[in-house]
Amino acid sequence: MPVMTKWTGVNNPCTQADSDAKTVLSVQDLGWQLGGKAILSAIEFSLAEGKMLGIIGPNGAGKSSLLRCLYRFIKPTSGCIHLFGDEINTLSAKAFARQIAVVLQDTPHHFEMTTAQLVALGLTPHKGAFDFTSRADREVVAKALEKVGLQDKANQAYESLSGGEKQRALIARAIVQRPKLLILDEPTNHLDIRYQIQTLELLRSLNITVITSIHDLNLASALCDELLLLNNGRSVAKGSPKKVLTEQRIAEVFDVCCEIRPHPQHGNPLISYFYGYDVSAHHARHDSTRVDMVGGQDD
Amino acid sequence: MTNPSIDQAGGIKQSQRPIEFLLFVLLAFLTLLTPFAATSFGAASISSADVFYVLSHKLLGIGESLGVRERIIWELRLPRVLLAFIAGAGLSIAGSVLQTVTRNPLADPYLFGISSGASFGAVVALTFFSQSMLWLSLPVGAFIGASLSVVMVLSLCGRNLSTQVERMLLSGVAISFMFGAMASLMLYFSSPQAAASVLFWTLGSFAKASWHGLWLPAAIVLIATLIILLNKRQIVAMRAGDETAHTLGVNVGHLRLYMLLLCSLITAILVANCGGIGFIGLMVPHTVRLLFPGRYPLLLTALLGGLFMVWVDVLARTVLSYQELPVGIITSVMGSIFFLFILGSRSARRI
Repeated sequence: MPVMTKWTGVNNPCTQADSDAKTVLSVQDLGWQLGGKAILSAIEFSLAEGKMLGIIGPNGAGKSSLLRCLYRFIKPTSGCIHLFGDEINTLSAKAFARQIAVVLQDTPHHFEMTTAQLVALGLTPHKGAFDFTSRADREVVAKALEKVGLQDKANQAYESLSGGEKQRALIARAIVQRPKLLILDEPTNHLDIRYQIQTLELLRSLNITVITSIHDLNLASALCDELLLLNNGRSVAKGSPKKVLTEQRIAEVFDVCCEIRPHPQHGNPLISYFYGYDVSAHHARHDSTRVDMVGGQDD
Repeated sequence: MTNPSIDQAGGIKQSQRPIEFLLFVLLAFLTLLTPFAATSFGAASISSADVFYVLSHKLLGIGESLGVRERIIWELRLPRVLLAFIAGAGLSIAGSVLQTVTRNPLADPYLFGISSGASFGAVVALTFFSQSMLWLSLPVGAFIGASLSVVMVLSLCGRNLSTQVERMLLSGVAISFMFGAMASLMLYFSSPQAAASVLFWTLGSFAKASWHGLWLPAAIVLIATLIILLNKRQIVAMRAGDETAHTLGVNVGHLRLYMLLLCSLITAILVANCGGIGFIGLMVPHTVRLLFPGRYPLLLTALLGGLFMVWVDVLARTVLSYQELPVGIITSVMGSIFFLFILGSRSARRI
């Protein structure tokens, strides 16, 4: 692999935006078209080591597509992605999987593995054809299970776990993969609020660089270092939660009106949504100090 | 804190461990015993001690020749037992791998219309070549027919093969019907004698086993099994879904194609040598799955498949006196009954 990276360093049309060693991932002018329709266009961002980036945006904004480009499941039509300075297409499948672990939303039905077996799948990119699973490997798996608090469920069927436990098992598998970057596709989906917070706090405690798509803006605000707001396949805003989450922007992108105050605990934006309002009507009345929730139905 | 039903499931899991170990021991014992026991069954009465005697004479040069009995054991029965074992092991492991890489529990080694392709090849060989050349032309024709069907299915799918499993399965069905129709048409216009021999061949038999016909299927099954075992980690990762396997560093498209080709090769060579033995590639992997839930013991699948086939062949030789039954009939009857029994007892336990 080192030979390949040198080669692309000379010939690749993309110039390296940031040669800083602390940059894990940099994305330049990324675009993806499907059947002539632009799903993603002109996306640019870079992510520093140890940061947690939340990708937010309405349904169909291109969050999952962007993530799929990042973990090479789809090939972007334009632009390039660098991982620690290497163009990602120059890495072999195995070398790539040793750098980036991915937690997806679904596992197939009739998935007959125990939790420990699922977690042990994380060893796959680290093992050659002749390598057996050693005692040390089993210890790595056991430690990962302990880290996510599932040591008691190691020998149970993965299918029998609750939603939150399944998510934690998948994260344990990613831990076993020992990645430099962890990508998650809506890890808090279908979880109750306790598990949502638990999952994100677990991710923070891992001390690795994380990119996650996330629907709940308040959760994103509270637990992500940086946010990237997508709409119609374009990047609308990026930066700290305070910078990205403004009433105006949420109204424009999500078509919902809201009020934003600093959260009493962490000071990041806390969004309260208003119900039964048309956005334009809300903006017309926004100057008034209190919004009458009962009689507020516009006509 | 935890759901009681989950705890119960954990309890069941724990108590299964000794049973698993017992099954392993039993299988190992059966594997050691089978060559002696299975060889002694048949029309001529031969004891297991005779088999042991002949083996030590032939392999180690100890003792004297037993004459006719030695010829029966060494030239007829032993190659037959070995061929049955190879066929059972190969079909079982191919079925197991195909079910995983196509993510279709109903996938079996005849997925690509291999058996119809082979039948067609066999019919062509029977019709156009002389009876004296049949020992060579029949397996060669069957192998060419089987390979033809695989190549046709793969070229029908083209580049979509890695992503569109459904399309591949449907192409297999279409090709299978096409070859089936062509074989039937040719048989319809051929002699009753040819029709009977094709029917016998289609149902599968190890009667033609010999040492010189053994090495090719043995080598192919052995090498293919080794390659499959070396890729086991990747194959297991594919059980978690294509996208997850991709993120675990598995080249999903390539792996699927290689495994399909490898399993087709196993099946084609076996079908050419032993005819179309149905059901075993479907039944043995599922039985192993039910016996060892959550695991993926490929070698054990092969072992169990081989042993099962050897004993089915023993039945085929001994059920009717003075006549042999085609093994395909017995595998289908036993397989379906056993399968229904297991499914029934399992669903009862679940409720």
